[in-house]
Amino acid sequence: MRLLRAYLRGLWDGKLLLGYTLLASLSLLILAPFLMIALRSVGKGWFGRLWLPPELTLEWYRWAVEVGNIPEVMKNTLIIGVIAVAVSTVIGIFAGWAFGRRQMPGKEVLMALILLPRMIPPITYALGVAKIFYTLDLVDTYLGVALAHVSVCAPYAILVLSATFEGLDERVLEAAGVCGANTLKRFFYVVLPLIMPGILASMIFSFTHSYNEFTLTLLTYGPHTVTLPIRTYLAVGDGYWEITSAMAVIMVLPSLAILAMIQRRAEPEKLVGGFKGV
Amino acid sequence: MTRFWRAHSSNLTTLLLLFPALAGFFGLFFYPMLLTLILSFRPEGQTAGWTLQNYTRFLRDPDGQWVILLTFLLALGSTALSVLLSVPLALILREKVRGHRFYRLMILVPLVIPGLIGALGLLLFFGTRGWFNLFLMQFIPFIRRPVAVNYTIHGLMFFYVWLYFPYTCVTTLSALESLDRSLEEAGEVSGANRWQVLRHIVLPLITPGILAGSVLTFMAAFGAFSVPLIAGGNYRPLAVEIYKQIAVPIPARWSAASAIAVVMGALQVVFLALYMRLVRRAGGAAAGGAGAGGVR
Repeated sequence: MRLLRAYLRGLWDGKLLLGYTLLASLSLLILAPFLMIALRSVGKGWFGRLWLPPELTLEWYRWAVEVGNIPEVMKNTLIIGVIAVAVSTVIGIFAGWAFGRRQMPGKEVLMALILLPRMIPPITYALGVAKIFYTLDLVDTYLGVALAHVSVCAPYAILVLSATFEGLDERVLEAAGVCGANTLKRFFYVVLPLIMPGILASMIFSFTHSYNEFTLTLLTYGPHTVTLPIRTYLAVGDGYWEITSAMAVIMVLPSLAILAMIQRRAEPEKLVGGFKGV
Repeated sequence: MTRFWRAHSSNLTTLLLLFPALAGFFGLFFYPMLLTLILSFRPEGQTAGWTLQNYTRFLRDPDGQWVILLTFLLALGSTALSVLLSVPLALILREKVRGHRFYRLMILVPLVIPGLIGALGLLLFFGTRGWFNLFLMQFIPFIRRPVAVNYTIHGLMFFYVWLYFPYTCVTTLSALESLDRSLEEAGEVSGANRWQVLRHIVLPLITPGILAGSVLTFMAAFGAFSVPLIAGGNYRPLAVEIYKQIAVPIPARWSAASAIAVVMGALQVVFLALYMRLVRRAGGAAAGGAGAGGVR
């Protein structure tokens, strides 16, 4: 009996060991590509069978900034991101309030319809968007690229905000009213603090979408509206891996900050609902 | 007028609230889709006339058929591999092993990182000068030359798994964590060993979660664009093929691109509908099975 128990425990420990091996190798596999990008971006003369670059340099970053015009590209990305976030948050607040707090016929159908852009590969409607924007002269303008991003950001903003507004408890508002707060006070001291986290989350996710958006940007950008993903893609085409890596590092740092923020504030399941392969 | 307003003010307010969203939906999604659909029936480069030529040319062409097959192959293959990877991973992470917070964060990394950057890093890692081949050549005997991973079909499938397995994994993990542990304890008390508990109680119960997650992985892999664009080499799935039609030839072949886009959208919708039906059926079976398992 004792022997059997020891055997079982051994099996259990063995399984854990196997588990740790799996976890460790997976983490390695996920992190190694980024380490290689980071090293490639600061390495010099890294040829042949070398595990690490023999010399360190910041030259490639200088190239990225000067030739790749990164400050300008960063400015474009931020402006487009801010416009896209603003538009989709406004859409999200209005529609979220309607979906979350109001009765209406055909609510489910309407919701499914509005979430449809997330179910269909962006390239299929990016074609039509580009065609329309060419006739409206919106291609290669901040507004145009940002509006194209809205088609990806807005459904998610609506989803997050309608959940937020739905969770707003009517009784809390009534309690505030009973305690003598007028409408204005109720809004600023009760409603706003309650919905602020939801609005912030929606803004963060919208911005991440816009920041990472590639497909719709590729079909609507022009020389004046090159964003970071497009710039990186163009650099891949040029074939200078070191400079491309430097750009990738510059691009990925804000994403990591956002990851840290999300990990602290939101549940990963929400992330899965919100992110779509670009 | 005032009576009309009084009777319908609530509905009108709702409509006003929904107006920006509906305007965005029609302007940025519905109308573009409609335009794509119309364009796909127009002769190339013309604004009038109707033709089916764009479809027949793409669907009859062996290259076109290969593009469709390749897209399905990549999407289904990477979805299956993601499930095979995610289930053991979720089972381990559920146990709150040491450092599980770190590993959970690791799983989220491919979701947050732009696909372009992930593909770039993978290309560097698996390249002839990358760490993967260095490791193989220095530590594994009989491997003298770099192993080709980049720009091959299995390499591309691996890239897809790397990028899109988190959808399946996170959903599986959350299904496992919402599972009632007492069901498993009941199984163990009744004399089932760990494997039997896993096979007959845990797996049937989390199957809906796994399937729901794998739908997300499938959709991401089916619609993947940036990754095959830079890491696909000669393997061009539907999304890349659409882009090539307007990026490579001069003048751009908008009608051909639109026809492929319509084919792609239709395939995705049909496949999703079938998948959802499967998920619903599996959900019902799992609930029944779990009920029986719980009783036993």
